[in-house]
Amino acid sequence: MTNDRRPLILMSPALLWLFGLMVVPCLLILALAFFRRGLYGGIEYTWTLENIALVFDPLYFKIFMKSAGIAGLAAGIASVLGYAAAYAIASMPRRHQPMLLFFAVLPFWSNYLVRTYAWIVLLNREGLIVNLARWFGFEGEMPKLLYTESAVVIGLVYNYLPFVILSCYAPLSRLNPEIAEASRDLGASGWKTFRRITLPMTVPGIATGFVFVFVLSIGNFVTPALLGGGQFQMIGNLVYAQFLTANDWPFGAALSMVLILVMLGLLMLQAVVTERASGGKKQIDG
Amino acid sequence: MTRPLLSLQNVKKCFGTIAAVDGVTLDIHENEFFALLGASGSGKTTLLRMLAGFEDLTAGDILLEGTSIANIPPNRRPVNLMFQTYALFPHMTVAQNIAYGLEMDKLPKAQIKTHVDEILQVIQLAHLAKRKPDQLSGGQRQRVALARALVKRPKVLLLDEPLGALDKKLRGEMQLELKRLQHEFGITFIVVTHDQEEALVMADRVAIMQDGALLQVGTPHEIYEFPETRFAADFIGVMNFLPVKVSRGAAHTSNGTRIATDKPLDLPDGSAAVAAIRPERLHVGIQSDNMLTGEITAIAYHGLDLLLHIMTPLADTPIISRMTADVADHHNPAVGQQITVGWSARDTHIFPA
Ligand SMILES: Nc1ncnc2c1ncn2[C@@H]1O[C@H](COP(=O)(O)OP(=O)(O)OP(=O)(O)O)[C@@H](O)[C@H]1O
Ligand SMILES: [Mg+2]
Repeated sequence: MTNDRRPLILMSPALLWLFGLMVVPCLLILALAFFRRGLYGGIEYTWTLENIALVFDPLYFKIFMKSAGIAGLAAGIASVLGYAAAYAIASMPRRHQPMLLFFAVLPFWSNYLVRTYAWIVLLNREGLIVNLARWFGFEGEMPKLLYTESAVVIGLVYNYLPFVILSCYAPLSRLNPEIAEASRDLGASGWKTFRRITLPMTVPGIATGFVFVFVLSIGNFVTPALLGGGQFQMIGNLVYAQFLTANDWPFGAALSMVLILVMLGLLMLQAVVTERASGGKKQIDG
Repeated sequence: MTRPLLSLQNVKKCFGTIAAVDGVTLDIHENEFFALLGASGSGKTTLLRMLAGFEDLTAGDILLEGTSIANIPPNRRPVNLMFQTYALFPHMTVAQNIAYGLEMDKLPKAQIKTHVDEILQVIQLAHLAKRKPDQLSGGQRQRVALARALVKRPKVLLLDEPLGALDKKLRGEMQLELKRLQHEFGITFIVVTHDQEEALVMADRVAIMQDGALLQVGTPHEIYEFPETRFAADFIGVMNFLPVKVSRGAAHTSNGTRIATDKPLDLPDGSAAVAAIRPERLHVGIQSDNMLTGEITAIAYHGLDLLLHIMTPLADTPIISRMTADVADHHNPAVGQQITVGWSARDTHIFPA
């Protein structure tokens, strides 16, 4: 019996840490969503659903949807690029793969802000990309690159791409090459084999990567602030503003709550997809 | 004989500097059950993969019904491979796994369903059609892999150690099952195994492979009774080897006794050789062409028969004699006894040492 307790004992420091320093403060903040905002930025402890309702006010809901759109676009692009990169790495000779993976995640080792600032330098009106285009003989008016929605998407994709590469590489590298060969043997072309065998078997990796990028992007406020140049707000910026400038903590809490619920929903969906694809190793009745 | 179905002509495959398959020439006929037998690393899998189209040839050619298939990709060869690991598609049900190959042939849906249902009956897994591979036992998986390859009715079915993962009893059943299916479908089977007994039981012809080359090809009877080399003699079944020396055109044991054999002995005088005799050819209490006396050092009981280990001054290892149960009842052999066994000239093989 003592054996059964060991996992619990080993896990408890981490669980306590998470619970005490993450879950409890989060719940406290979220609880604020149900109270009224005080006159001078304080909290008035009367019960209300106004803040939640305000989230769905067209003005704010539009920002919500826009954030979801940008996050979805970033997650989509990152998934395609990341899967392609992971596929390429996984089809290299085994001994080269660790090094290639290391290079793929190398940007992670530098500071997020520094990386994002680097993109400002690249996308600037007199930045590297514009100059390169000129050097290649591009004449005329350059489209504005920095402080656009595209810049935000580029920044998000760039920052979170390594997540997708890692999450797609895991199932790809675990594929038994004989399974793809069996498909060829049964008459499938290379492309058919990819579509019917390789892709479905590695969908959990893509789903994990997509949800990761989406969840991290939709709540992100650094990249929209720096690369979007305050031209538009994402939901993260809105939350940031409620807590730090508008001093409307209850509304900030309400926004956060809806955001967290969306994220949880997605994470659950992703868990279901993974479970499905792994075949659900239960059920042994006839 | 008619034109062979499959013709391998001096087929060679090198990985870097090692030749995994080294100049194999072989004809395989329609409807034949052919077994490739060899030790681990002898190149059996590589040869099958070349036939299936997964390895290109370093040299030589492969003809199917007279036309070269050496440059045809695996998906367009009328040849199917049952993988050593089965390689079932884990995200598809049993029925979907089996239907896959037919879908690739673009058969109409209704026809696919008929074929799948039919073969599920044949392999007796109709009740598990909706299961995923990881909800099956090893034997069931093996049958699904077989059905998946068989349902395409290829000209040649390649099977890489199809029974490798099964326990002994199931293996025995499946050996007969494989033979029955081969007969029923009328498809040429090439089966790789490193179990010599399995090869003898199942195959019409057996090839022994060593270091990428074919050592001997023949019917199970030929392979067992007339091994051409010492390796083949040793590899198949149990074989006794007595060291001998050639002098005056005959083989002599270390104590000078002449070993009688009816096989031509074309070894020069003075060369070292071995005389090889199967355990079941050694008889007790019968006057024979060759006789040998020794002490019983061990008796291994096998139910049907006994294996006597007889130590003689003629060899470093005991000579093994097989004694059927009724003979044993008559002779009552015991450890420590002196025993004389004899064998006929017909059953004596001589190989260079
Ligand atoms: N892809 C490869 N690269 C390099 N060497 C290989 C490769 N595949 C096989 N070999 C080598 O070729 C030789 C034959 O291998 P093969 O797999 O054909 O043996 P096998 O007879 O099937 O053995 P087993 O009974 O263990 O399955 C071995 O020495 C093996 O190491
Ligand atoms: Mg093998």
